[in-house]
Amino acid sequence: MKKLLLICMFVLAALPVLTQSAFAAGDGPSKDMLKGIVTQVNGAERTVVFVKDGTKEVRTLALGEKMKIEDMKMNTKVLINLDKHAGENVMKDFSVMFMDMTVSKLLALLAIGAIGGLLSGFIGSGGAFVMTPAMMSLGVPGAVAVASNMCHKFPKAMVGAYKRWKYGQADIKLGLVMSVTAIIGVQIGIKIQKFILSQFGGAGSNLYISAVFMVVLVFVGGYVFYDAWKMAKGGGEETVSKLAIAMQKINLPPMIHFKTANITISAWITIPIGVLTGMLAATIAVGGFVGVPGMIYVLGASAVVASATELIIAFVMGAWGSVQWGLSGLIDIRLSLLLLATSLIGVQLGALGTTYVKDYIIKVVMATTMLIVAVSRGVMVPGYLADVGMIAPIDAGTIAVLERISYWSLLLALGSAGLIIVVAMVKGMTADRRAQKTLAGVRHG
Amino acid sequence: MEVTRFDKNMMAVAFAEAGEHDTAREILKDGKKSKVTVPVPVKNKPYLKTVFFGAISITAYILLFKNEQLVTDTFTMGGWRWVFPVGAAFFFSFIHGAFASNLLSSLGLEAKK
Repeated sequence: MKKLLLICMFVLAALPVLTQSAFAAGDGPSKDMLKGIVTQVNGAERTVVFVKDGTKEVRTLALGEKMKIEDMKMNTKVLINLDKHAGENVMKDFSVMFMDMTVSKLLALLAIGAIGGLLSGFIGSGGAFVMTPAMMSLGVPGAVAVASNMCHKFPKAMVGAYKRWKYGQADIKLGLVMSVTAIIGVQIGIKIQKFILSQFGGAGSNLYISAVFMVVLVFVGGYVFYDAWKMAKGGGEETVSKLAIAMQKINLPPMIHFKTANITISAWITIPIGVLTGMLAATIAVGGFVGVPGMIYVLGASAVVASATELIIAFVMGAWGSVQWGLSGLIDIRLSLLLLATSLIGVQLGALGTTYVKDYIIKVVMATTMLIVAVSRGVMVPGYLADVGMIAPIDAGTIAVLERISYWSLLLALGSAGLIIVVAMVKGMTADRRAQKTLAGVRHG
Repeated sequence: MEVTRFDKNMMAVAFAEAGEHDTAREILKDGKKSKVTVPVPVKNKPYLKTVFFGAISITAYILLFKNEQLVTDTFTMGGWRWVFPVGAAFFFSFIHGAFASNLLSSLGLEAKK
């Protein structure tokens, strides 16, 4: 208990560091981004009068070369990106902050929320990789989509973590230790991102993100899939990996005992796993794709405990990410709450589903999702390679087709994972009810 | 088919021979009151709680969307106003989370014991 208190105090001590910087899926809004209202449009001069949110500072901004004057909208909150290379007050792009909510958009958000929640409750992470692009395709500006997704992620993770803790699956201590180290990883991840952006520009950054996505997802996802297949053949019994057994033998103080996970391991082993989770979270927005396999194969936790503990990490990181985005005022609460409306049901359904299935099903779902997401990023690589000039330019039509394949494969990843979970859960529940009935039959003679 | 006392005794013997002494004793004990039906504990489903939390949740959603303009403007002012979106997310996660939990229980979807 004392140790737990110490860990909590450490987390609290780390908070000031956190408030200095935003993380996971973005470094907060860029300094070149302005938020406010356009009060006047001057067609002849191609300028607008802009009132900045909060400070009420009035600025006259000129339209960028490619911008059209008729796209300017007055008296509604807008986001403006400045093109500092063209001048101090020249706009690069302009987007309305709050999209008009139509019935079809509302239904789309509810559907994505439900499947994302189900996946989250079951494998500990998921959904984020598809929610942000899905919201953007509904017309939400990128920064608002990331912020609103973050604000829906932490309450969902909190409810999921609570449920799975009640089922005796979540290791709070391991979750907190991982969260603290992941926060450090996020800082490193952001630094690397910034370095690449400054050295190689936007295209280089895209290429880097895709490459990380591909390498991590193909290797880790492939290994998880191989392991799940081996388990399925061996009757579904989970064994602790050889690597984890070797790691647990390293007696390098401070040694920490994690009760629920039932492991005693040196803090020096947990640190790199947490740091890598954070780095990945800052790069591809889904830290769980390294965190969960790391806890399973390196620390030696079971798939059930690892996926449950990941929800605690997602809660801590999501809550502070939301504070950061809230400080910048970019959360569209309507989007967050619509996603929550169904994801809070999905996450609890996914959580109770884990009590009916064998451990390897969790690994199958995780591996399937990771491998399909890898395909989704993989098809984008040729475009990015052409952008940085490493291969010959590709025509716009092909790029558009690749983008569509990428987007739909993300939805396929969600859909197929949802389907596996539902089928496994229904099978588990039916078998359980049949067993209960047989038992009752024996009892009552 | 009526299970006779003889059948029961034989069943108990079979269990006792297999080493399941407790089950055998239970079968013999049951034999004395075989006509009495043992009430199966039925867990009350939380219909009332589902309706209660559901009503608060839906009211909150309606209130928010009726005042869409005001809410989005206030919640995105930045600075200390981060407490609005984060607080709202916490509020909905408790109320709507409780509704979702009770809804699943009402539908008979419970975790395996």
